[in-house]
Amino acid sequence: MFIADIRKDFYEVVANQRVVLLVAPDIDALCACKILQALFHCDQIQYTLVPVTGWQDLGTAFLEHKEQFRYFVLINCGANVDLLEMLQPDDDSIFFICDTHRPVDVVNVYNDTQIKLLIKQDDDLSVPSYDDIFRDEDEEGEDSGNESDEGSEPSGKRRRFDEGAVERRIERQRAKREWEARRREILFDYEQYEYHGTSAAMMFFELAWVLTKDTKDMLWWAIIGLTDQWVHDKITNMKYVTDIATMQRHVSRHNHRNEDEENSLSIDCMRISFEYDLRLTLYQHWSLYESIYNSCYTSCSFKLWTLNGQKKLQEFLADMGLPLKQVRQKFNSMDMSIKENLRDVIEESSNKYGMKDIRIQTFGVHFGFKNRFLASDMVHATAALLESAEKDDSETDNFIKALDALSRSNIDRLHSGIALAKKKLIAIQQTVASCICTNLILSQGPFLYCYLMEGTPDVKLFSKPMALTLLCKYLLKAFVHSTRNKRCKLLPLVMAAPKDVEKGTVIVVGIPPESETSDKKNFFGRAFEKAAESTSSRTLHDHFDTSIIELKTEDRSKFLDALITLLS
Amino acid sequence: MAENSPRLNQFKNKGKDVNELRRRRVEVNVELRKAKKDDQIFKRRNVSAMPEDATSPLQERSQNCQGLRQWTVEEIVAGVNSGNSESQLQATQAARKLLSRDKHPPIDQLISAGLIPKFVSFLGYVDCPPIQFEASWALTNIASGTSEQTAAVVSGGAIPAFISLVTSPHQHISEQAIWALGNIAGDGSALRDKVIKHGAVAPLLGLLAVPDLSAFSAGYLRNVTWTLSNLCRNKNPSPPMTAIQQILPALVRLLHHDDPEVLADACWAVSYLTDGPNDRIEVVIQTGLIPRLVKLLGFEVLPVVTPALRTIGNIVTGTDEQTQAVLDAGALAMFPPLLRHKKANVQKEAAWTLSNITAGKDSQIQEVINAGLVPYMVELLARGDYKTQKEAVWAVTNFTSGGTVQQVVYLVQANVIEPLLNLLSSKDSKTILVILDAITNIFMAGDKIGESDKLSLMIEECGGLDKIEALQSHENEMVYKASLNLIEKYFSEEEEVVQSVIPEVTNDGYAFQISESQSTFNF
Repeated sequence: MFIADIRKDFYEVVANQRVVLLVAPDIDALCACKILQALFHCDQIQYTLVPVTGWQDLGTAFLEHKEQFRYFVLINCGANVDLLEMLQPDDDSIFFICDTHRPVDVVNVYNDTQIKLLIKQDDDLSVPSYDDIFRDEDEEGEDSGNESDEGSEPSGKRRRFDEGAVERRIERQRAKREWEARRREILFDYEQYEYHGTSAAMMFFELAWVLTKDTKDMLWWAIIGLTDQWVHDKITNMKYVTDIATMQRHVSRHNHRNEDEENSLSIDCMRISFEYDLRLTLYQHWSLYESIYNSCYTSCSFKLWTLNGQKKLQEFLADMGLPLKQVRQKFNSMDMSIKENLRDVIEESSNKYGMKDIRIQTFGVHFGFKNRFLASDMVHATAALLESAEKDDSETDNFIKALDALSRSNIDRLHSGIALAKKKLIAIQQTVASCICTNLILSQGPFLYCYLMEGTPDVKLFSKPMALTLLCKYLLKAFVHSTRNKRCKLLPLVMAAPKDVEKGTVIVVGIPPESETSDKKNFFGRAFEKAAESTSSRTLHDHFDTSIIELKTEDRSKFLDALITLLS
Repeated sequence: MAENSPRLNQFKNKGKDVNELRRRRVEVNVELRKAKKDDQIFKRRNVSAMPEDATSPLQERSQNCQGLRQWTVEEIVAGVNSGNSESQLQATQAARKLLSRDKHPPIDQLISAGLIPKFVSFLGYVDCPPIQFEASWALTNIASGTSEQTAAVVSGGAIPAFISLVTSPHQHISEQAIWALGNIAGDGSALRDKVIKHGAVAPLLGLLAVPDLSAFSAGYLRNVTWTLSNLCRNKNPSPPMTAIQQILPALVRLLHHDDPEVLADACWAVSYLTDGPNDRIEVVIQTGLIPRLVKLLGFEVLPVVTPALRTIGNIVTGTDEQTQAVLDAGALAMFPPLLRHKKANVQKEAAWTLSNITAGKDSQIQEVINAGLVPYMVELLARGDYKTQKEAVWAVTNFTSGGTVQQVVYLVQANVIEPLLNLLSSKDSKTILVILDAITNIFMAGDKIGESDKLSLMIEECGGLDKIEALQSHENEMVYKASLNLIEKYFSEEEEVVQSVIPEVTNDGYAFQISESQSTFNF
């Protein structure tokens, strides 16, 4: 069930209990987790934090903790499956689910004893009504009356019914069949697309606010959570702009609070500000040139994988009147005079080059005087840490490192994340360029398909779900810019990359078509399930996003064929 | 058979002979069936025990919107007692309507209002057929309830009244009376015999004494057949032999009718009659209906196939001669589609039947082989649902205990070992024991032709040895012993030499047994 009062029905319930936090591997979940941890510290609530990478992990974590714990908080996982069916918990385990995954499973919605959904009801949920999908058992049981299974022993006694009664029974059975057909239809419509709702971090920030325990750190985490949804393309532009406005109100409130205090500029103070900043990834921590070169928006607009594109970039730089020497050196070391009105200069030239959306509403933060970060910097840095492919690092290590990087006190960790993020962006950029130039993106009819072969540079990086998803999005944008085929511009993309060479598996991701007005609804989850079922391909649907699966390499072609048939 | 006997008695199934084994199988099955039936009755009672207010006013209205206003029990009582024949008819009809609605008929209220004797008296109103009909219907529905409710109808004197209505010139009244008698007889052995004692059989059979059965409407004939089947139904005690002798010829005739529902009920009737001791089976066989039953096995209609198969299955629980009668009618040729039937239940019953045939003489086992059924058996073992697998296990075990060495060899060549051993992971220790028996039997055949080593290897290769080894830690003592026995006998060659010098505990102390082989060591 949806809980109505997050303070009363959630926070006060767990306040004197020990709880388990089960946290999915995405940045929004990490931020939500940070906020909740901070609140729990405030109120000395004991908790155990368990990062979970997929459904199997979640099941194991539950089994390991169900004896000692009654309360489980699931962050960005659990909403889109019938959790009770999957975990088979005892009657006294209670699950609080704060998850952006939609649609929410109907059983989760209508279970009012063990499942408590920390999900905003004003989100575009359109859950089918109870009567449309559930029916009381005894109502059905009586229908069968004296009739028994075909072929079973006849009953020893038989009652004679009214003619009318027989007809009514037939009528009822017909109605029941119709109801079932309608139920299937409703559920099909409801479960067809996967999409995302309000950021989990924002949900918990709201809780902190209701408790009047919200701090600037929490506000910053909520902003990062929301920005993660934008960077990883999980929500519509509309939703992003609306939620940014919500966050802006909180930012003004916080800034207003210590406006007159002089110490607001002390070395360890933190200042969050609304920015209408450049859509150039990590530019304040890179050189302007490299940022333009490796940002999705600019590289696609210039088509930097072509010679012509390279030329255009040079022209663009000349148009801005920025000396190459300045542009190529670290942003920090650029002349102050250039930096002063840089954003306006870039915007002006960008408009000339057809990049009307070079600026975006976002937030920045100052830690003291020296450190300045944009929300998207934080997302890229933590994501790179979370999926770091460096040797020796276990997934839990990565999780802890990424979590640490979100703390103000861990600037060094954050900088190491930024360094990793740069490497990752360069890798994405190079992979996109090589895929486009070697025509690796094939039209399969109902969708585009691209397979990264073993041996491709940086292929290991793309065995991770977030990195591969980001690559997918960049690649599809680039493809839409480069192709002349109008039909192909409207197609979704399926991408496969080697996952585990020893086990012979690939990771497969499907993303919806690229368009300005995209509703970001993804139908690949259902389609993957069906295709796997019909071909009995050996697949693993373990990821919390149903549109990301693992597949045995040998089964790739039959799986793909089934997918094509299914979607044509 | 004779040459097998000593071996059978020596090794097989803890000394039980074929007949005993077979009987045990029948009992288990009957018990299962009975348990299932009790479940169903229990369920039905649950429904009728629902509180009356579960029916919402809204439903009441919608149910009766097309008819007249609903009568209360008091109004019915007043009408019935009015002495005015028109109001009596209307009241009886109102009662009948209440009893015919599909949810929560007020049976108990009408009984406690003392209406049964009144209705029974209306059955005799020869001058007013409508009230006879309404009263028959009402009483039919009261008798369709629980045993107490049926008993209330009987103690109201309904049985003789209904029996005289069987021969009513009005067919719909006759039909309703027959239905009511069926409900009473269907309650159990006691009321069944009461109906028979009052002389219901003769008029019922009299009805069928026409040259052509198709003169009757389908519904009418079906009611007659169903009521006859209820007169054959239930055991402890079974119906009186004289009645059965009377009814059987009619059943044989009905078995040749073409209406599937009539066929189904007639088949069920003979299945009840064959579900008993061998002399009862013999009576049925004597009517010569086996060839017809075998033909019905090939019917596409499930409601007919099920009871026909049950009857055949019952008959082969009888003597070897009785089983032979089934085989001679060519029944085995019908089995391939049954063993692969889409309904798991049919597969199970077919496997059960087969298991009782393989419990027979080796010549009968040979007929099973000749009919090509062994591969089907193996298939069921590997892929049937669990209940079917259990029956298939019995079929295999019986086969291995009664078959000749050559037959057992054939069975092994048909790849029975692997699926059989896979079932050792079953949770049911009874099944495990039966499988271990089969393996022991197979090994004994192997011993005779000196192929035991090869068998051991086969079992080890399909992972069977691991399973047998694991069974040594089974909680069931018998399973433990049986598996230990197998391991010691057939899977521990290396240790054999060592074991033979272990001192054996005897009453006098330790005795060293020096085996022959040691003196003939040669290097």
